[in-house]
Amino acid sequence: MSAVETLPARPAPVSTRFLRSELGMVFRRRRNQVLLLVLAAIPVIIAVAIKVTTPTGTEADGGPPFLFSITGNGIFVALTSLTVVLPLFLPLAIAVVAGESVAGEASLGTLRYLLVVPVSRTRLLAVKYAGALVYCLVAALLVAAVGTVLGALLFPVGPVTLLSGSTVPYSTGLVRLLLVALYVAAMMAGLAAIGLFVSTLTESPIAAMATTAVLAVTSQVLDSVPQLDWLGPFLFSHYWLNFGDLLRDPVATEGPIRGLLVTAAYVLVFGSLAWSRMTTKDVSS
Amino acid sequence: MTAPTRLRKLRWGVPIAATAAVAVVASGVLTAEADPPLPPKTAGQLLVDVQGASVKGLSGTVVQDSDLGLPDLPYAGTGGGGGAGLASLLTGSHTLRVWYAGEDKQRVALLDSLGETDVVRNGTDAWLWSSESNSATRFRVPAGGAGAKAADELPAGVTPQQAAETALRALDPTTSVSTDGTRQVAGRDAYELVLAPKDTRSLVGQVRLAVDAETSVPLRVQVFPKATGDGPAFSVGFTSVSFEVPGDEHFAFSPPPGVTVTEGTLPADPPGKADRAKAERAKAERAAGAARTVGSGWTTVAILPAPTGEPDGAAAAFLEQLPRVSGSWGSGRLLTSALMSALLTDDGRLLVGAVGPDLLYAAAGR
Repeated sequence: MSAVETLPARPAPVSTRFLRSELGMVFRRRRNQVLLLVLAAIPVIIAVAIKVTTPTGTEADGGPPFLFSITGNGIFVALTSLTVVLPLFLPLAIAVVAGESVAGEASLGTLRYLLVVPVSRTRLLAVKYAGALVYCLVAALLVAAVGTVLGALLFPVGPVTLLSGSTVPYSTGLVRLLLVALYVAAMMAGLAAIGLFVSTLTESPIAAMATTAVLAVTSQVLDSVPQLDWLGPFLFSHYWLNFGDLLRDPVATEGPIRGLLVTAAYVLVFGSLAWSRMTTKDVSS
Repeated sequence: MTAPTRLRKLRWGVPIAATAAVAVVASGVLTAEADPPLPPKTAGQLLVDVQGASVKGLSGTVVQDSDLGLPDLPYAGTGGGGGAGLASLLTGSHTLRVWYAGEDKQRVALLDSLGETDVVRNGTDAWLWSSESNSATRFRVPAGGAGAKAADELPAGVTPQQAAETALRALDPTTSVSTDGTRQVAGRDAYELVLAPKDTRSLVGQVRLAVDAETSVPLRVQVFPKATGDGPAFSVGFTSVSFEVPGDEHFAFSPPPGVTVTEGTLPADPPGKADRAKAERAKAERAAGAARTVGSGWTTVAILPAPTGEPDGAAAAFLEQLPRVSGSWGSGRLLTSALMSALLTDDGRLLVGAVGPDLLYAAAGR
């Protein structure tokens, strides 16, 4: 954070220096790198485990979706991995990054220096959120990419069987996988907005991370209680698995669009809450 | 950064406004469309139109909701061969995609969050595909025959058409038929046809059919119980629909590589609805010895012999939950829900009807 560099001229409206410095901070932090490593390890573990043991059976007998398709086509390593990281590992990583964003600076005492440079609090918040968004994207794409590469190395690749039972060329399958990864990243953007707001409430980054992670798990628990099924459509985690609709033939758009709209609503509400809190709070440390 | 406190507090108005905006959009107030103006039609005209409706093709998404107030069923075998996927239709909410291009080209896909069960009919081939069990079953449909619909593999009431047919079959002097203005369903203008049992002892309050103004195809069927004033206990309707004939690619199913294909068998003599019904009745009678009905119209009570043999663990536990009842007719266990009641007597009879328990007791005592 070099304040001197940004001082001379009013920063150009599209200056990306602040964003680049934030991204550098997010991706250079050892903790965040370790989290990415853990995420990347999931497809490795799945691929190697399947290669060594070759499970027999079908999904109906238990096990995560797509698991039993891996031996037939390596691309399913990526899809299985995305399904496996979605409930916990991925939200945890996002909670850490988003919870850290503002509270981390506050706890280190660097927030007030940041606020001295001629950058508005609004812009600071936007850059913090953008940093978390890029992390969401990188995390989801990383899992998909490692899964694809490892799947191609250890298992045969070829035409991909979609959920509808029709078969598409491998290249089309890769496009579908990319869409799934982008959808998963977009779903995490909602959680990141919640984490950003929580992060503006406290000066303890650990508290912000834990709260965000707990909210992510709570949302999923509430969604799985049959007596509370009226609540489901309002929960942000309710739409995470809608990426399955991208693997049908033809693609079913209603489910994913609904997921994106609800996520957008969460981003709007918690983003504006974070903004109100950020622009009105007294920064003393 | 030192704005007056009052001004700073105002900033909290932004998230409040954002939340309000989201709530308004989510509640659908903005997107709710006024009931469309359509030339008035009498109930009789609508009935004739619905029964004569035929389209060359359609495709769309159907959402089916069951809120029957049934206890969780331990298992629900439909015998359709679809496994858990199709049996799950009896409870909860389900989304299906349908394609139709004439009698011999049909496809129904039951969507699961990361799975799909498809029934595809294309000419003389019919396929049942389940992504979860990664299996495909092929049925041969005899050429030339009127043909068993692929959709017949699914439990009744899966599509609005099937549900409407079932409801219309109940039409007789015991039903009062009326219209109730117009509605927007799946973005299309529709008339609302209301069927209500005249017999007040029926648990069914009314059945509402939304009939497409242009094609007369039923777009939505809702069944309201008499007891509660809230929403329908059962509803099935399109959330989006197109009446263009879908392309052949939707009906071309070839089993993916690596999938085990089994050959299924259709009932021995499938063609023809009447024959089918007769065959089914004969089969039921054979199995039953004495299946019969008491009463008529909406308050018909079916008396069937209870399934023989010891129930297995899950079924026995399920039966244990049901309250024991007894009377001059004997004793047994009673299952009640918003739309139907069932009585399993200790002497091995199963009584089912869309009526309250008293009518079942009366039927049992006869």
